[in-house]
Amino acid sequence: MLGSRAVPAIETDGLTKVYGGDTKALDGITFRVDGGELFGLLGPNGAGKTTAIRILSTLLRPTAGSARVLGLDVVADPRQVRLRLGLALQTPALDAFSTGRETLELAGRMHGMKMLDIRRRTDELLELMGLSKVATKLTGTYSGGMKRRLDLASALVHCPDLLILDEPTEGLDPQSRSTLWEELERINAAGTTMLLTTHYMEEADRLCSRLAIIDSGSIVVEGGPEELKHAIGADTVVLQLDGGGPGADGGDPVEHVRDLLDGMVPRDDVVAHPAGVSLSVPNAGGAVPDLLRRLEVNGLRVTGLQVRQPSLDDVFLKHTGRSIREESADQPILLGW
Amino acid sequence: MDRLTALAFESYHLGLRTTRRFLRVPANWISILFFPLIQLLAFSQLYKDIVQLPGFGGETSYLAYLAPGQVAFTALMAVSWSGYGLLIEYRTGYLDKLRAYPISRWAILGGEMVPLFFQAAFMAGILLAVSLLLGAGMASGVGGFILIMFLSGGFGVAFAGASFIPALLTKSEQATGTISLLLFPLVFLSTAFVPKALMPGWMQVVNDWNPVTYLIEAIRFLMSTGFDWAVVSKAVVSLAILGAVLQAVTFWAFRRLAG
Repeated sequence: MLGSRAVPAIETDGLTKVYGGDTKALDGITFRVDGGELFGLLGPNGAGKTTAIRILSTLLRPTAGSARVLGLDVVADPRQVRLRLGLALQTPALDAFSTGRETLELAGRMHGMKMLDIRRRTDELLELMGLSKVATKLTGTYSGGMKRRLDLASALVHCPDLLILDEPTEGLDPQSRSTLWEELERINAAGTTMLLTTHYMEEADRLCSRLAIIDSGSIVVEGGPEELKHAIGADTVVLQLDGGGPGADGGDPVEHVRDLLDGMVPRDDVVAHPAGVSLSVPNAGGAVPDLLRRLEVNGLRVTGLQVRQPSLDDVFLKHTGRSIREESADQPILLGW
Repeated sequence: MDRLTALAFESYHLGLRTTRRFLRVPANWISILFFPLIQLLAFSQLYKDIVQLPGFGGETSYLAYLAPGQVAFTALMAVSWSGYGLLIEYRTGYLDKLRAYPISRWAILGGEMVPLFFQAAFMAGILLAVSLLLGAGMASGVGGFILIMFLSGGFGVAFAGASFIPALLTKSEQATGTISLLLFPLVFLSTAFVPKALMPGWMQVVNDWNPVTYLIEAIRFLMSTGFDWAVVSKAVVSLAILGAVLQAVTFWAFRRLAG
């Protein structure tokens, strides 16, 4: 729906937010989202994703740097940004005592739409989100998945040029999650540019045409999911060893494998794994038979084998030295006004 | 649409939502009407003979004396938890959703405040109607009844600040509830139960500075004597002062939170 692709949907430059004088939630992030993209901000909890979203949706002022949404400065021109933006925050924000239909109609009213258009659009969205049957029930009675879908619908009533979603599938069961993924893909395919945050790698991998991995307030790496995973350059091979490793001499299995594969796999690319030993091997498909033969010849029995293509978690691990799944307890309680 | 029309339009639609929130929870009605009704029914029996004391000015029914204070008390009850709604919306993120709409920030506050006029007016009207059924008089007729509802609604909006200010400043339900509770004595330290002449000296001073007194006196005059500009305008002025002070602080606190 964004007519011109020349104006980026989002453009930030050195966006910085400091809370209470010393907590740096965002440390100068710069990125650009073009019209029609489904762009993801992927990172662990507390990485600064929500802060970025709040600045882009005019709820929070940046400490430094600038952000333009649909060519409009979020600080100088918040009202114009709000008119053209659809926003769904991390927890679905619904009035428990309004019905689904009333919720959507109010959203339309608040965007200055005509009642006739509101009626038509409300029917359309209720149908699309599978909520027609519960349209006259209070939202307080909805299930988690229904609340999500209604909240998403209420962000779409005015046909926004840009849809911003903060952790759209947080707290949903796997089935509701994949239903929502399909809906998001459909909305994007119909022409709505989308920015979403997530800490689920599968989600970013499946949905996003491009993403930025964000950690501790900075963008670590940016690109398409395939491109990022390719850049890792190697697959992961996990070897399960007979009896957990060399039993007789009681040596360290990792050291043992390192010695045996000397010249084939760099020593640093062999690390311990809960199931045995993990190797980082480029083009594992072709290399594995040779590796196994070398181990077998030297008397090390491999009882199990797993070959894994790199995931976005590996990308995150490579760039930050940590796993994205590690939880942190450093989020500000109130994200400020 | 010019800005003022837009503000009115937005406040109206947000007000419809807060009104639904009020109407769809029957507990709201009960919690507002329960205490004033109990006081009206029990005290009018319990202290039936108190009107024989000098100072009641020849009033023969304590129920008739008691009713105006309970009408005012109902208006106070109707708004004493009014800051809660906004507080919950702040917590659930709904307020952020409203803030991200292309509307005036003041419409958000308007959508909370304007319906309070009608809630306080109608709740007070219900109590007034019950009082009349129980035998209280209405000397100024239907016009007086409507005027009393207007005064009660006005008091509701003016007094709502007493709940909004702690809610906006502390963002704590407990603090907001406690402060609301601390304001109930405003009704006891007025002429709701006994005339000024029967109060100890310090209480007479509090009574003179208590805006609730002027509301009660106006309602009482309209019920027992008839229409009088002087009494009504006194009530209007005291409510206007109360409203100006409390709402000014509320606006400031809201701006601080949502600006």
